[in-house]
Parts: sequence; structure tokens; C-alpha cells
Amino acid sequence: MQSRHGRSAGPDLIAAVLLAGFATLVAACGSRGELTPARGDPRAGAVAITRRACGSCHAIAGIPGADGRVGPPLARFASRKLIAGRIPNSLEGLRRYLDDPQSVDPGNAMPDQGLTDREIRDIAAWLESRG
Amino acid sequence: MRGLRPAIRRFGPGLLLGGLAAGIVAVAAGAAILFGGVYHTGADNPHLEPVAWAVHQTMISSVRHRAKREPVVPPATPARLIAGAQQYEAHCISCHGGPGVARAPWASALLPTPPFLIDARTRWTPRELRVLVAHGVKMSAMPAWEEILPGEAIDDLVMFLEFMPRLDARRFERLRERVRAMPTDPLMASGPAVSLAPLPLRETQPLSRGIVPDPSKPPNTRP
Repeated sequence: MQSRHGRSAGPDLIAAVLLAGFATLVAACGSRGELTPARGDPRAGAVAITRRACGSCHAIAGIPGADGRVGPPLARFASRKLIAGRIPNSLEGLRRYLDDPQSVDPGNAMPDQGLTDREIRDIAAWLESRG
Repeated sequence: MRGLRPAIRRFGPGLLLGGLAAGIVAVAAGAAILFGGVYHTGADNPHLEPVAWAVHQTMISSVRHRAKREPVVPPATPARLIAGAQQYEAHCISCHGGPGVARAPWASALLPTPPFLIDARTRWTPRELRVLVAHGVKMSAMPAWEEILPGEAIDDLVMFLEFMPRLDARRFERLRERVRAMPTDPLMASGPAVSLAPLPLRETQPLSRGIVPDPSKPPNTRP
């Protein structure tokens, strides 16, 4: 049916090519964004939070079963000014605290879990996404 | 009653056929899981949220139910707390960590992942903790410790779990150093877990101060 209307096949083809090109561009931009070093993946962050058992000490809204009562709840962590009440809350501060909690707040129960930098960035992105 | 017979005549064959079809689908799904390998049993593939909830809730209910028949854990003494700390160091810390102490790297690769236990006493009663330690948890990496440890050692462990939130990271580290330096390995001993002679502990001391010296205070030099 369509092939008989010779005039409409051309524009359709051009539109299809343009659309495919645009989709490729969007996909390329998306994957480039994920590789940007400073940017973590919130969904991977949620997985890391579960695997690292953060919820056995912290109450974390949005992580199933995370109802710990040892450390502070992590709701609205991103809007907090200080980490452990001592150092400024930033990606750098979070990295420093997670890498060696005892150096920031000696004697506290938070362990150095040996998180990878990727995990720290993902967890930071997840906390950020929760406000 | 009069309305029932026509209803059966009208809907009966459809219901029967529907039930049969549902049964066939269920059997096919079961066969696909059992023999077709469609279900992913790998530990790097998390459960769906409702499945995770159901499995966990089943465990909680089972432990609570079984705790009613579990022996009552006797009151803690300093000596038994030390013995419990020694058991914890030998058997528990690599998967469950402690105050200021991370779990071994493999713990975060387990599914379900073993929790930190600092607030275990707010989640479970002593008897429930005894159920968990003594009988373990099916389909998790938690062993049934009573299979290889005497019952008293299980009690010691539960006493120590109850005590753990009173230790900060520094005092926990000192306690670890102390139990690591002890000669007897309670794992291998079937009698009393540890010799208490070298410990400067008195039963009358408050537990929180008697077990681990507070690093901010000078050590007790009295013989």
C-alpha cells in the first residue's frame, strides 16, 4: 500500500534516519554521562547499601529492612551540614569518613568497610537522590 | 437452590476448563524452574522485593515461635562474657563485624548478607538470639553452632551479644586483644571455655566497667 504512494516514502525515510540518528546521539550522551568520574549511579548505590549491610546500624528510608538503631538515620542525609557532626558534608567528606571513620570520630562504632571509590560515589548519588 | 443448577450448567464447564488450564500453566512453570533452569540461584542476583520480604518474615516468625521452647539464657557473669567474647572473636566477627570492626570482604558478597549485631538485642530477645545462634538460619550462611559447640558456649555468645552495645570501638579493640592473647581455644575445648585465673575481674564490678578497661582511665594496678 505505502509503496504505491511514491511521494510519501521519501520524507518517511528521511524522518526515520533522523530519528535513528537522534536516538543514537541520546544513547551516546547517556553512556558518556555514566562514565563521568564524579557521577555515581543511585541504583547501584542502593544495591551497595544493601550489600554492605548499612541498614543493620542505620535506619534508611527507601532501603527495605534498613531499620538499624546504632547510628543516625540517613533520611535527608544530603541536606545535612556535617558528617558525624565533625566534617563538612560533601562527596569529599563522605569519602574521607567512609574510608576511615575512626580518624574522623575516634571510638565510634562505624567501621571502615573497605568500600571502593565506585561504591562511595554510587552511595553518595543515592543519598543525593533522596534529598 | 433453583438458581444454582443452571449456574453450574452455564459456568461449570468454563470453570473446569479454566482450572485445568491454570493447573497446566502451574506445572509447566514448576518444570521450567525445577528442570529448565530458568530461576537464577546466583548470589549476585538479589531477590525481588516481595520475595526478600517473604523469606525474611518467615525466618522472623519461625525464630519467635521456636524461642518459646528454647532454654532460658542464664544471667551474665564477667567470666562468661569474656568466654562469649572469645567465641565471638573465633566464630562470628568475620561475618558480623563489631563496634568499629568491618566484616570480612566476602560478607558483602553473601546473599542474604550477614548483619552487624550491635543492636541485635533491640531486635531479638535472648532466647530468640539463642535460637538463631544454636540452630542457624536455613538458606543463609548462618551455621547451626550447637552442632559443633557446647550449649554453654551458645549461652556465653548470647550474653556477649546482649553486652556488645556497651562497647565503643576502642574498648572493643582492647577486649579483642585480651581474648586473642588467651591460651585456650574454646573451639576445641569441651570443658570450661577459658581459665579465669589471670583476669583481674571481680563479680561485684559493674559489667560495663569490669570487662574492658576504659582507655581514658589509668589501669587498675591493685593485685
